[in-house]
Amino acid sequence: MIDPLPPRVEPRHQWRRRLRDRLATLLITAGGVGVVVAVLAIGIFLALEVAPLFLDAGSGVGWRELWQPRWQPGTLPGESPLYGLQPLAWGTLKAAFWALLFAVPLALGAAIHSALYMPPRLRSRLKPTLELMEAMPGVVVGFVAGLVLAPWVERHLAGALALVAVLPAGMLLAGLAWTRLPAAWRHRLPQGWAGLWLMPWLALLVATALWLSPWLERLLFGGDLRGWLEAHLGLGYASRNALIVGLAMGFAVIPGIYALAEDALSGVPASLGEGAQALGATRWQSLWKVVLPAAAPGVFSAVMIGAGRAMGETMIVLMASGNTALMTLSPLEGMRSMAATIAIELPEAVPGGVHYRLLFLAALTLFVFTFLVNTLAEVVRARLRHRYRRLGGMA
Amino acid sequence: MIGPGRVRLARGEGPWPWLAAGSVALSLLLLVGLLTLLAVRGMGHFWPSPLTLVTLEDGRQLAGQAVREERLPDSAGRERLYLTANRDLEGDIWTWVAVAEIAEESRPRDLVVLERTRWGSFQGRLLALESDEGRVEGEAAWAALETRLETLATLRAERDRLRDEVVMPLVRRLERDSGAEAELAHANARIRELQARISGGMLLLESVDGRRIEQPLEQVLRAWRPNAMSPPQKLAAWASGVWRFLSEGPRAANTAGGVWPAIFGTVLMVLLMSVVVTPFGVLAAIYLNEVAHQGRLTRLVRIAVRNLAGVPSIVYGVFGLGVFVYGIGGSLDEWFFTDQLPSPTFGTGGLLWASLTLALLTLPVVIVATEEGLARVPDHQREGALALGATRVEMLTRVVLPMTAPAMLTGVILAVARAAGEVAPLMLVGVAKLAPQVPVDGEFPFLHLERKFMHLGYHIYDVAFHGGDVEAALPLVYATALLLVLVILVLNLTAIFLRHHLRARHGALPRR
Repeated sequence: MIDPLPPRVEPRHQWRRRLRDRLATLLITAGGVGVVVAVLAIGIFLALEVAPLFLDAGSGVGWRELWQPRWQPGTLPGESPLYGLQPLAWGTLKAAFWALLFAVPLALGAAIHSALYMPPRLRSRLKPTLELMEAMPGVVVGFVAGLVLAPWVERHLAGALALVAVLPAGMLLAGLAWTRLPAAWRHRLPQGWAGLWLMPWLALLVATALWLSPWLERLLFGGDLRGWLEAHLGLGYASRNALIVGLAMGFAVIPGIYALAEDALSGVPASLGEGAQALGATRWQSLWKVVLPAAAPGVFSAVMIGAGRAMGETMIVLMASGNTALMTLSPLEGMRSMAATIAIELPEAVPGGVHYRLLFLAALTLFVFTFLVNTLAEVVRARLRHRYRRLGGMA
Repeated sequence: MIGPGRVRLARGEGPWPWLAAGSVALSLLLLVGLLTLLAVRGMGHFWPSPLTLVTLEDGRQLAGQAVREERLPDSAGRERLYLTANRDLEGDIWTWVAVAEIAEESRPRDLVVLERTRWGSFQGRLLALESDEGRVEGEAAWAALETRLETLATLRAERDRLRDEVVMPLVRRLERDSGAEAELAHANARIRELQARISGGMLLLESVDGRRIEQPLEQVLRAWRPNAMSPPQKLAAWASGVWRFLSEGPRAANTAGGVWPAIFGTVLMVLLMSVVVTPFGVLAAIYLNEVAHQGRLTRLVRIAVRNLAGVPSIVYGVFGLGVFVYGIGGSLDEWFFTDQLPSPTFGTGGLLWASLTLALLTLPVVIVATEEGLARVPDHQREGALALGATRVEMLTRVVLPMTAPAMLTGVILAVARAAGEVAPLMLVGVAKLAPQVPVDGEFPFLHLERKFMHLGYHIYDVAFHGGDVEAALPLVYATALLLVLVILVLNLTAIFLRHHLRARHGALPRR
């Protein structure tokens, strides 16, 4: 016997359903394409705003003017404005350089430790914690850097510089001491948890270094390090300087670099590292000879993305750098970055004027740079994932 | 060669891995340090700290709270900074004292602190209170002052309520048409009467070094005797200080008072932004993941959208200023608000443009999070729905989207957290140092999208970098920063929790 047919759907109803489906799909497509186009239009719009600067012969701004070493969009009467973008570009690069100098070792170190040594449970806790660090608003970090850290470092420069030497030495010392510990103790303080139990030790080191530094300063530099630097090395000291910016912005970029580098390192097929260790390498040796070379592109792209973030960060540089358009190498003097200049000057610039368009040019530069860097990093990461899959499949 | 019996475990690695472990510890230490600093200084601001009476070797006396100590230049001694207030007497609220010169320190219970509307606070002794009922001195003056201040607070609240809720709407109505003059006159008379009851009364004060001033009671907001307070009283004072900080508007060019308008502005802006960003972000994600042909172009677009999350926020601000404010806003002004030109209505930064700019800024966040959620839904769920005869839209709305809801929520929460902390673009598209009017009031159309607004993050920047005496405003900045960080931390923790929950339910994301 033939089963009874299923109840037939009314053709009219069916037709309406299909129409509704078409309409909704159309709506989604239109909305989606619209959003994507709107978002991508940013670059095009910026380029359109900048274009008259170079197409108009009468604007008086050519490449030669833009490559002056002075930025003085002065509105004082009788003073012709100088629009050299060079100091701004210099300030941006300098800030990013010091930030990376501080952030890259810390972030990569943290990534190495958590990918290779940490127990997985602890690692899954550490990642969100460092994400919180990334979520810290720039204005708060900038405030603490500019108004708390900068005056403090100005008073305790010797102590702050001493930390640079004391902290790594203290970490190595802790490592040496740990290997000498009896096995029971080592079991109680496992290396995988060192990220946590080293914290009090480092805090103690910081306190000791700060406590001893005035004495050291008197012994070595006659009690006045800043005066000594000025007299012997010719380094002027500005309260808000590149070191402060580097520290604060480094704080802001550490989590980003860490997350991507950790991804790259822990994505390396476990068989590679295990193979190296089975042949007698220590974990540290297998890291340098096997895991790191395999993950190098990923680590590189993490650093690139960190650099992009550091170039575009506005509030921290604005609040912690002093914003003087200087072109010095000295880490103890301030700078003025492109992003900070835009934030300060654009609200006052006359729409359509040369100053206005130049600030747009600065924004366009930032946009193009970060976009290219991120795309490059993304492509590298995609390739890397592909390679990992192949390597993992072979094993 | 390795000898027998030698353990070649971790020892062979040497101390180098400890640099890596140390960088984890150092990063965490930095985070903990920053949070502790904000928490301690931000919360500590509201605690009524004891007032020390310092007697110097030469017999001079001062009353203040010790702020910090520093090494004296060119000598081994130290000097200490006291917050001594009394700007009207000293010209400054800070006093440096060499520690070696201090002969005696004590905390007498009769020292008072007055918070005043002019000249900042006063620290010293209360001698007498003169009012219409006569003159009271000594301990009785303190009791009289306390009761009088309570009456003053209610009277002030009544006056402000009248002004905001009765007089201001009437004045605005009068600008358009007449007819409310009698009502207005009545309300004004009532305010004048209240004002008369508020004014009057005089305090006779003496600073610890013996100078006397007469202080009109009208200008005194609060008074306390920190050295005579018990811990529960201090706790109550702390709680009420926190509450005033959250609920009051700023005073004295933002260097005192509370941050209520900034909280309100931040929340309103973020709400508007999420109303815009949620539908568009979800729509774009659905298009990219479910509708578009999964070819090379879609992959490129996906990468581009992801990369936009890494574009500096100031660039979005520049875009917002050029397109929304000068472009769209300028045209709107020309079409609809010609009578008010040349003063711009929409052609200047405002709430609407700020929300739209931040929506654009956070769009990639929502798109990426939603796409991740969509990718987690197994294909057999979709195929099952389609096989049972569902159309694509039915499959999406009945099967896929409900499973993706937590991912969308995560995206929106992350977007809100990012937007709440973003200041740089706002400086270009509509934040104000001090907004005279809140963007929401009882007047049609109730929500004023063209008005400028205050923002917690910008408040921090403004007070910290454009105020006169930064040191005096610092505690307030700490408190504001703590508030902002707390809001953002809570939002982020919620998102992290949601994501964790999501992963536990659907398993890891399939890599593509």
